Amino acid sequence: MPQVILPIGPQHPALKEPVNFKVIVDGETIVGLELDVSYTHRGIEKAAEQRDFIRVVPLLERVCGICSHAHGTAFVMGIEEVMQLEIPPRAQYIRTIVAELERMHSHILWLGVAAHVVGFNTLFMWTWRDRETTQDLLEEMTGNRMNYGINEVGGVRRDLTPGQITSALSRLPKLEEQIAKYVDMVMNQETMLLRFRGIGKLSKAEALKYGTVGPTARASGVDYDIRRDDPYIAYSEIPWKVVTDTSGDVFGRTLVRIGELQESLGIIRYCLEHLPEGQIGVPAPKVAPVAEILSRYEAPRGELVHFIRTNNTDRVERIDIRTPTLANWTSVTVSLVNQNIADIPVIVAAIDPCLSCTSRITILSERGRKTAEMTWDQLSEYGRKSSRERDRC
Amino acid sequence: MSVLREMLENLFSRPFTILYPKEKVPIPVGFRGKIAIVDEKCIGCSRCARVCPAECITMIPDETEIEVKGKKIVRKKRPVVKFFRCIRCGLCEQYCPSEAIIMKCQLSESGTDKEVLVQ
Amino acid sequence: MLMDPLLLAVYILIFPGFLFLLAYAFFLQYLDRKIAARMQQRVGPPLLQPFADFIKMLGKEVIDPAGVDRMAFDAAPVVALAAAMTAFLYIPVVGESPFAFQGDLVLVLYLLTLPTIALFLLGWLSRNVFSSVGGVRAVTMLFIYEVPFFLALLMPALMAGSWSISEIAAWQGKHTWFALFQPIGFVVGLIGLQAKLERQPFDIPEAETEIVAGPWTELTGRRLALMHLTMHVALVAGSGLIAALFLGGPLLPWTISPPWLSWIAGFAMFLGKTLAILLILASIKVAMGRIRIDQLNDIGWKYLASATILQVAIVLLMGSRGVGI
Repeated sequence: MPQVILPIGPQHPALKEPVNFKVIVDGETIVGLELDVSYTHRGIEKAAEQRDFIRVVPLLERVCGICSHAHGTAFVMGIEEVMQLEIPPRAQYIRTIVAELERMHSHILWLGVAAHVVGFNTLFMWTWRDRETTQDLLEEMTGNRMNYGINEVGGVRRDLTPGQITSALSRLPKLEEQIAKYVDMVMNQETMLLRFRGIGKLSKAEALKYGTVGPTARASGVDYDIRRDDPYIAYSEIPWKVVTDTSGDVFGRTLVRIGELQESLGIIRYCLEHLPEGQIGVPAPKVAPVAEILSRYEAPRGELVHFIRTNNTDRVERIDIRTPTLANWTSVTVSLVNQNIADIPVIVAAIDPCLSCTSRITILSERGRKTAEMTWDQLSEYGRKSSRERDRC
Repeated sequence: MSVLREMLENLFSRPFTILYPKEKVPIPVGFRGKIAIVDEKCIGCSRCARVCPAECITMIPDETEIEVKGKKIVRKKRPVVKFFRCIRCGLCEQYCPSEAIIMKCQLSESGTDKEVLVQ
Repeated sequence: MLMDPLLLAVYILIFPGFLFLLAYAFFLQYLDRKIAARMQQRVGPPLLQPFADFIKMLGKEVIDPAGVDRMAFDAAPVVALAAAMTAFLYIPVVGESPFAFQGDLVLVLYLLTLPTIALFLLGWLSRNVFSSVGGVRAVTMLFIYEVPFFLALLMPALMAGSWSISEIAAWQGKHTWFALFQPIGFVVGLIGLQAKLERQPFDIPEAETEIVAGPWTELTGRRLALMHLTMHVALVAGSGLIAALFLGGPLLPWTISPPWLSWIAGFAMFLGKTLAILLILASIKVAMGRIRIDQLNDIGWKYLASATILQVAIVLLMGSRGVGI
């Protein structure tokens, strides 16, 4: 059979966000994949360079709707390190609580989406119902269900009251019970097993080669988690373990995420019970000294990297955001090969793609009518050229 | 099987949905909702306009005599907010020295006109 | 079985013919959605929602995709609806159907296949990638489930020694339900019905996350309304058929003296049995996800077909021992 190019996206019912890829198929089997991740370029990095450290945090939270705390924390952690601020432990614990609540809500949401992709809408409804608990907790603690706005350079903006802590602790057992049910359902639901097991295989060698991060990598047996390997905020003080799986397929990724749900619940409970007393922030200076810093954070989808360059002003000179989805995308092109067309949504959903966050660059033709492509050499030449120009003036 | 058990349990229990206009969604204390300006407290310092990430607060000239901590002063400016540009981050509330700009515990409305002003 | 022409017209047009059929189809649809919603802990639609949807869609603009054959595109949903509604006339609702004849079982099975063929046609005519793929998937699925489904539904005929649905139902009145004689056939029949109605886990042709809505993608306005109605009617006809073949239909094992009372009792039996079947189908729908077409192929031919052949062997063996026939 001749090879046919099947265009998917930018608007496609399986993917809630616009991404454009061309699948090359031979009959029902996929032979290759071409990606275009620059469909929703928003210029958020440039916008971040225009705002001072107070105003940039709410902007960076809006890089991603789901891991908003991840982006905010990664940024403020970097700036705090540049400014050499000592953040009080209570602030670190509150950041950890919000981070883990965010991870839980993201993973529960993913589980629902994964079930929906294989047509199991019941689990979708149930998981999203139980996700409301985490959302309510976040709303009570931070003042909003999304884009929590709890971070600022120097600490957190809100303290937890004893009432909030007891109310949060009292709602955790119910959530734990529901998560245990999901474990049971995922392990035993026949149609989900049929659609998840052995689909989208990624061996450990491939996972390392293509630089996957987060649950995608951990499901392939890569024992790697920033929270343990380069502990930030309060993770070094909390007992927890990294969940891994060796199967490397969509089912493995599901198991890793569900395992992480249970771990996150434990972390939240520990943090709430052992919340240290004290300040929730220190006053931060207005300007940051000249420095370059790489801030790493384990977002729900994997390792998130913020590269920040400061230049003795009250705003960053350059910020570069590498979202976990970008790291995982290339692995999709590999795990899709030799799979069935009907499995495209499942495999794509399995890395939990967050497409609008991923888009960092768009190359436009002269008049901006068409997007263009650039090779790696062209891009690095372009980078060298513009940095020379910058140094000159 | 857990799916079947959950199905039957749900069949005979109340739906989880909140039928919104009829039943109200509980709003917790400290919710960052609709933005509001308490005009008589504002001292016209412009800090809210400077910290607003969405740049939706502008200061307009308004010479009024107000009372702060028993003293009478004359303020030069007061803020206006482009209501639907507000992202409700709460920075203005945090940085306001006189609690003159607040996020109410009330759901913010939606609309299409980006130029609607809160005075 | 002859009847007064006026009564016959009433039977066809009002009760239990078209008017009742449409009302019951909307009601079953409502119930199906409501049960599914409550199992998912949602609120679900109000009683008149399916009817309101139908009226609303009738009033919507009909959009012709570029280059489509309008005549065929308009005709296919009507043919499908007519087939499904005709099939219902042979299903016993209050006692035997007045149209019953030897072989109406085959006719009903044939008529119930027509909606799927119409869907395939619609998908093919739409000139849309998603529709064509969906149409092909619908027919592929037809080849997989149809054989076990037909075999399972013909088993009662073999045992009762009649090809008339009403007579098969009457035979069960004298003996026992075929669901007890042929449990495998009953289960395969239910699975086949679920597949015929393209409900989970067999909603492969309209898999929304893969191919938008399959053959339904380009349907708008009254075409969409009629096709939806066809599926609702097919649900009634299908569950009525299963109820008649395996659960004894509306016929009572004993006679009740005034005929009108026995009619009411029979009607109640019909309602009760179809609702029970609907409950089973809705539970399957809620409890499962969608499988892939190649997986369905494996399951259908490996397990469903061999299970039905086993059932055929059992029936033949029972027949040679003098049970039934």
